[in-house]
Amino acid sequence: MKKKKMVKKKPSLPPMSLSFEGTQASKTGTWRYLTPTYLNKLAPCNEACPAGEDVEATMVLAGEENYLGAWEKITQENPLPRVCGRVCFHPCERACNRKEFDEATSINALERFLGDRAFQMGRGFRPPQEKKKERAAIIGSGPAGLSCAYHLASLGYAVTLFEAQPKLGGVLRYGIPAYRLPKDVLDQEIDSLLSLGVEARTGARLGQDMMWEDLKKYDAVFVAAGAWKSLPLKIPGEEAAGVRSGLEFLQKVNSGQAVDLGQRVAIIGGGNTAMDAARSALRLGVKPLIIYRRTKEEMPAWEEEVLEAEEENIEIIFLTSPVKILTQEGKVKGVECLKNLLGPPGKDGRREPRPIGGSNFTLQVDSVITAIGEAPDLSFLPAELRKSADSLSVDETGATALKGVFGGGDIVAQPRTVALAIGSGKKAAMAIDAFFRGQDAAQALRLARWGDKGTLSMARYRRGGGDGLAQEVVKFSDLNLAYFKRQARKPKEKIPASRRTSDFSEVNPGLSPASALYEAKRCFNCGVCNLCHNCFLYCPDLAISARPDKLGYDINYDYCKGCCICVEECPRGAISVEVRK
Amino acid sequence: MKKLMTGNTAVSYGVMLSRAEVISAYPITPQTTIVEELSEICADGRLKAKFIRVESEHSAMACVAAASATGARVFTATSSHGLAYMHEMLHWTAGTRLPVVMVNANRAIGSPWSIWCEQGDSLSQRDTGWLQLYCESSQEALDTVIQAYRIAEEVLLPVMVLVDGFFLSHTSEPVEIPDQKAVDRFLPPYRSRYKLDPDDPHTFNIMADPSIFISFKHDAQKAMDEAKKVVARVDREFKAHFGRGYGLLEKVRCADADVLFLTMGTAASTAREVIEEYRKRGKKVGLCRLRMFRPFPARELNKVLSEAKKVAVLDRDNSLGSGGIVAQEVKAALYGAARKPKVFEFIAGLGGKDITPETIGEVIEHTLNNVNPGGEPIWMGVQE
Repeated sequence: MKKKKMVKKKPSLPPMSLSFEGTQASKTGTWRYLTPTYLNKLAPCNEACPAGEDVEATMVLAGEENYLGAWEKITQENPLPRVCGRVCFHPCERACNRKEFDEATSINALERFLGDRAFQMGRGFRPPQEKKKERAAIIGSGPAGLSCAYHLASLGYAVTLFEAQPKLGGVLRYGIPAYRLPKDVLDQEIDSLLSLGVEARTGARLGQDMMWEDLKKYDAVFVAAGAWKSLPLKIPGEEAAGVRSGLEFLQKVNSGQAVDLGQRVAIIGGGNTAMDAARSALRLGVKPLIIYRRTKEEMPAWEEEVLEAEEENIEIIFLTSPVKILTQEGKVKGVECLKNLLGPPGKDGRREPRPIGGSNFTLQVDSVITAIGEAPDLSFLPAELRKSADSLSVDETGATALKGVFGGGDIVAQPRTVALAIGSGKKAAMAIDAFFRGQDAAQALRLARWGDKGTLSMARYRRGGGDGLAQEVVKFSDLNLAYFKRQARKPKEKIPASRRTSDFSEVNPGLSPASALYEAKRCFNCGVCNLCHNCFLYCPDLAISARPDKLGYDINYDYCKGCCICVEECPRGAISVEVRK
Repeated sequence: MKKLMTGNTAVSYGVMLSRAEVISAYPITPQTTIVEELSEICADGRLKAKFIRVESEHSAMACVAAASATGARVFTATSSHGLAYMHEMLHWTAGTRLPVVMVNANRAIGSPWSIWCEQGDSLSQRDTGWLQLYCESSQEALDTVIQAYRIAEEVLLPVMVLVDGFFLSHTSEPVEIPDQKAVDRFLPPYRSRYKLDPDDPHTFNIMADPSIFISFKHDAQKAMDEAKKVVARVDREFKAHFGRGYGLLEKVRCADADVLFLTMGTAASTAREVIEEYRKRGKKVGLCRLRMFRPFPARELNKVLSEAKKVAVLDRDNSLGSGGIVAQEVKAALYGAARKPKVFEFIAGLGGKDITPETIGEVIEHTLNNVNPGGEPIWMGVQE
């Protein structure tokens, strides 16, 4: 409808000085040499998540109190939010831009909240719409195997999980103690995943209960058997009764078997297995003593685990290496040790320990747990897959030397984290899907990538890439901080150390609903337009209009003169500038 | 419904009943409780208005002026230094011919520091192009706010409604609150002919070259002239609707008076009592309360004053280096009149000093007892 013009004819003067001609006649867009365009970018947390979760979008939904929507967003990528929300080392929080402002958003605790909430509300996975004929076998039901099974099943494939142990879960069940990941939570997560129609065969150890040839009837195989071989100390006395590996110890404790450690146990090593073993021993009423050859700074265990061990008053002797296990009648009596100095950095950048000659001393202990590292057992694999002695060799898509056989998780050469195992299971699911469809897996994975750290998005994979999100990661300097106020992060609540070491009940009670919402709202939503309206309000030419579909804004380039105030005033870097007309 | 309320509360009710759509203000004593109450009225939904907080009075006026330019009915309130801070924007608002309504609680401007009543703050803004209506009671304040919108929106000039700081702003009186429906009948929604419209955007306040600038000012002057008629007509219509009217000026026992006491604002209330006392004693004394100062009702005033022999003008202000501002205007209005009373000038009540019955008594006494004014204004209550 044509509106009546405010000023009709030139001769009659309006009472105020008012242009006769409407300003729309002047197409200020012709002045433009910088062109702002809406372009959602990648939040650093998304790029940093080894499991490939869309953390930013999850935060938006959680901030709107759409907790089920947020849970769905997570489980598009990762079927185990209740597990990761408890045990993940959360590199997302280390990448969080907010940490430069005050403190990182509590992403990990929020993930747990969302997972627990969805479970309490009885929410489960939706079965796939169509069933496909191809079948896949998965060796190992740890985080990599579960993740691969979930994604393949969601894509409609028939999946069979083979697990050597009596129950599913791999390292989640037999490695991680219950005070960090309660067994009922794990059971519920696995049950929910199996409801997609995944077949599970437990007590089926490859090379023992079944043979590699038995897998021939499957169209693809994903090998994710983990790394369950403990590295030996290679010192005298190691074969004595009372010396056992950390993995063996944890496996027994986590299966509910009795383990006799005597009064005092020495745990050799500074990694997560050592921390888990020491804290589990403490809960069995034994006094643990951790022996580590370098200092706290070089410890490979996650900071939080070390902190919690310290809170529980677990003694750690630094700069000390065992040289001999002392025995009496074939049983452990003590450990002879040497003190170390720190030398120059080694290959991994950590300073190397240098023993001090003659500094020998003895620690009286009744048992020893070795936890200096783990390696995969490849003996059950065919010769073609055993070319490298340390790990199963795979290419960038997770494919092995054998056609249709893929590998992931701790059995391949990659940092041993739950999140990365979940990510590698997802990667294998994409590669297997591409393989079934006769497509180039490397190309399909490239389209699904998020940033440059190897993170893959299943949502992107399913769309075949194009979701309009740039690969560019939003830096702290890209944000307009004037629009954020400092808000302290909600501290993780913990059962005090004095009340938590008598049994294996969970140490961390999680976020309250109020704290969870508060944390979700603390998120900067880096790089993604959340309809804050700033650009619309600030545009001096009224060239920006809100889209009726509420999916963003449009710029009328007839009048956008390229001042880029919108770019400056966007709090989250969701508008880009190009040098063009 | 009748309620006991202060002048400030009466103003906020007047704004609410007028259905203002945008309110923006910065707090300053003794105005603060007006916008404080309005913010509550907005918050609890009694008035569906956008209440915009700002960091200064300059911004407050810029804010309501811009909102008015989009066609919204707007309100702001200020006082003293706040009004002085708005000075530039007062010119812009009037020049853009925006029907902004503002209440100013009259307060002295420092230095010395003072928070108390004086009319110099608004009188020193007399040349900015705003209408000025001075109120005597809480009831009049409420009624005048409603009238002000009718007037402003008809003549396209901003209106300043004045209430004496504390004497009116903070003193409670019984006030009849008009019915909303009745106010709606009296004051229909504002329909602006010239407005900022995103669908047909025009530039406002573009530069006028020397050949045309004077025409805009002439047009504004014509609107001011017209405003005298409009203020009178709106007041008559208001009286027809609500039974209360105030006129451009109010005459009390003027017809046969030899001495007329002339002032603005709350001092008139005190004067009413004093004049009755003089009448009882057989002295022919009358009161002329000036309600409208801009536009100045010279002809109307002339008609009243020319009947008297002497006029005592009491100014609650002073233009340093000249004299009482009201007295100057009164004298100018009488220039060229066929019959001219003698004008006695008094300065009183600056910085909140009480204008008591005794003060007014002295003024009248002096006027009665002297044949000619001395040529200089007489300052009441100066400490030697």
